[in-house]
Amino acid sequence: MSSQFDESPIDYLSLVGGGRVHGSLYRDPRVFQREIEQIWNKVWVYLGHESEVPNAGDFLRREIGTQPVLIVRGDDGAVRVFFNRCRHRGNLLCNREYGNATTFRCPYHAWTYGKDGALLEPTFEEGYDNSLKREQFGLTLVPRQDAYRGLIFASLSPTGCSLREHLGQVTEFIDLFMDVSPSGEIDLLSGVQKLRYRGNWKLLPENSLEGDYHGPFIHRIAFELHSRRSGLKMSSLYENQVPDVIRSLPGGHMVEDYRGAAMSPPARPPTPARKAYIEAMETRYGQKKAHELLSTIPPLVFVFPNLIYIMTHIRRLQPVSVDETLVYYHPVLLKGAPPEINTARLREHEFGFGPAGFISPDDIEIMERNQVGVQAQGNDWQYIARGLHRVKMMPGGGTSGYTMDENHLRGMWEHYAHLMDRSSSSDVH
Amino acid sequence: MQADLEQPTVTAQSVASFLYLEARLVDEHRYQEWLALWQESATLYWVPCNDDDIDPSRHVSIIYDDHDRLVQRVERLLSGSVLAQQPLPKMRRVISNIEIQTAANGELEVASNFILATARAGRQELWAGRTIHRLRVSGGALTIIAKKVLLNNSDQEIPLLQFLI
Repeated sequence: MSSQFDESPIDYLSLVGGGRVHGSLYRDPRVFQREIEQIWNKVWVYLGHESEVPNAGDFLRREIGTQPVLIVRGDDGAVRVFFNRCRHRGNLLCNREYGNATTFRCPYHAWTYGKDGALLEPTFEEGYDNSLKREQFGLTLVPRQDAYRGLIFASLSPTGCSLREHLGQVTEFIDLFMDVSPSGEIDLLSGVQKLRYRGNWKLLPENSLEGDYHGPFIHRIAFELHSRRSGLKMSSLYENQVPDVIRSLPGGHMVEDYRGAAMSPPARPPTPARKAYIEAMETRYGQKKAHELLSTIPPLVFVFPNLIYIMTHIRRLQPVSVDETLVYYHPVLLKGAPPEINTARLREHEFGFGPAGFISPDDIEIMERNQVGVQAQGNDWQYIARGLHRVKMMPGGGTSGYTMDENHLRGMWEHYAHLMDRSSSSDVH
Repeated sequence: MQADLEQPTVTAQSVASFLYLEARLVDEHRYQEWLALWQESATLYWVPCNDDDIDPSRHVSIIYDDHDRLVQRVERLLSGSVLAQQPLPKMRRVISNIEIQTAANGELEVASNFILATARAGRQELWAGRTIHRLRVSGGALTIIAKKVLLNNSDQEIPLLQFLI
């Protein structure tokens, strides 16, 4: 691999494939720069959930790649995504991370905007000969935004596939994890654990959806403590290699689909809250579907490039640089479930996740060491060929593999290489 | 120290010494001895997330341990398999600004500030915040009923917190 000072173009298609990924894709600042241009500034990026801005004037600061945006619910109920930048001199318009506002006033020269982004007050307008065309200086909407089941996505590219096309088959799995809510709706209003790691952003999806391969090695003690407490075995799939669990979907998405691996029912009788929850589920979905939803682990889902759902939470990732990444763990509460069920979900979440949890910190430490490991450039390839001999092509595209296979990683990387490839058209995302 | 102390054997100095002892035990990874400082019932070891005053039934915490989970936390740390403790971080914390108030049942509520430096894997990290201890006085000895740690950066993107704070 060439050094970072080399100006020759990178042939991305040659760096991924045949069960291998090249180490430079984790460490070369030029690769990161191109990811910003080819991926983060183009594809549909997950920003947040509509439940986070329930009322008119509620706002949230988020980023698309490295660009700050502002999500605002208007008086008309619509959620809009604006670039978080004053139209006057480019100051960061909204400095607060979240809150409620009647107007957005830039602190620099007090240009003031409405919840719909309209410029209300440019201040000292006579300096513009009282002829500033306000309608030309409203906040800039991101080129495209859309939502699926309340999940807000935006794309900085004015053209390209629709959100539904981008999501494709992964909606089936988003539905599955949202349908454990007896109202069919989730709520991300219970705060967010924030973490920073010294590693490339792609290490997170690679590690987060890995079936059971690393589990018994780095999570042994956490799994043991969890089983002892819950009576459930977290790693039973490890001994019982199950086919069709690891899914790669078109669009670079990844899924661990546990529908074929029913859990044994919990040993303890259900609490009154649990009973009420099960009844509410049966009322909404009917007994059969409610039973199906409750007898397996909801799927683990990665929606390319930055949304991960695991067990208790939505994990949002944000790249900072080639070797630094931010992670946001948003616990998912179930609207319409008894309060005790949601409180128990929070306690379950804190067991595993966030900076002080018992599971994900071992993953974060592994990723930081991974980033150091790939600085060594002898035999500069990661090997992701597990299950290559038994990979199954799925109708409608994508592949499926056994619990510990790496077919999903191969799918994500193929999609990635396709986006990064210099010769690819701008419409593939 | 106020004239609060109906328990004549507890003084401001002994409360401070207790906090210093606790600090030394966690700094030196003496987890079992640290656990023995805790009352076994109604324990709460709490590090709120995002804000100091959150409703833990509706809002996620960074740590929200009852006694069972506290025991698990210690068991995990002692298992030798916590990767972020390989090698063990060198840690020293300074406890200061101790303010003592009596609370109901003759319990003490003790607020203090801390600065903690951890060194591991080629870097030193600084952590700071305020701790609220609820202590029980029994026969002149102190035990911890609850400990709430208000991190300065509980609403920021923080590195791993895989030690006792």
